Amino acid sequence: MDWMAFLVSGLVLILIISAVFSIMQKDLLVAVIGTAAISVVLSILFYLLQAPDVALTEAAIGAALSTIIFLIAIKKTDRFEE
Amino acid sequence: MIYFIVAVLSLALLFAVIRGINGPTASDRIVALDNLTTITTAALVLLGLFFERYIYVDVALIYGVLSFIGVLTMARYMGGGL
Repeated sequence: MDWMAFLVSGLVLILIISAVFSIMQKDLLVAVIGTAAISVVLSILFYLLQAPDVALTEAAIGAALSTIIFLIAIKKTDRFEE
Repeated sequence: MIYFIVAVLSLALLFAVIRGINGPTASDRIVALDNLTTITTAALVLLGLFFERYIYVDVALIYGVLSFIGVLTMARYMGGGL
């Protein structure tokens, strides 16, 4: 199970990189893409830590619902942050 | 054999994340996110096979059904619809 710890460490590193990338953006569409990438990696992480129901909920909410609501909000306001 | 497949999938995940971080336009990042969700679906099926709990494959099924909706909404936003 040594490779499992290595895989979890790499996924947490990708998660932190994606979160920092998402909050440094001025283009809010790219920030939403970063949020969706965080959701994808977090779903794999919940799955690896043997919680498949939490992974299922995270995939359903993070991939579909959260992205659509953020995109509707961007559509009704401005895309670029000044 | 499973270590080889995990290594190949981790490498593909890393390349998709790199493409998503330094893609110049937002369209490149959307395609990188779609690539990331496809690799994630393959990884979930593989890990369900590895844990030998076949209820885990249902998570990959739900994820494969739902994961394209976010990318589809982003493409619809780029096209001026939504």
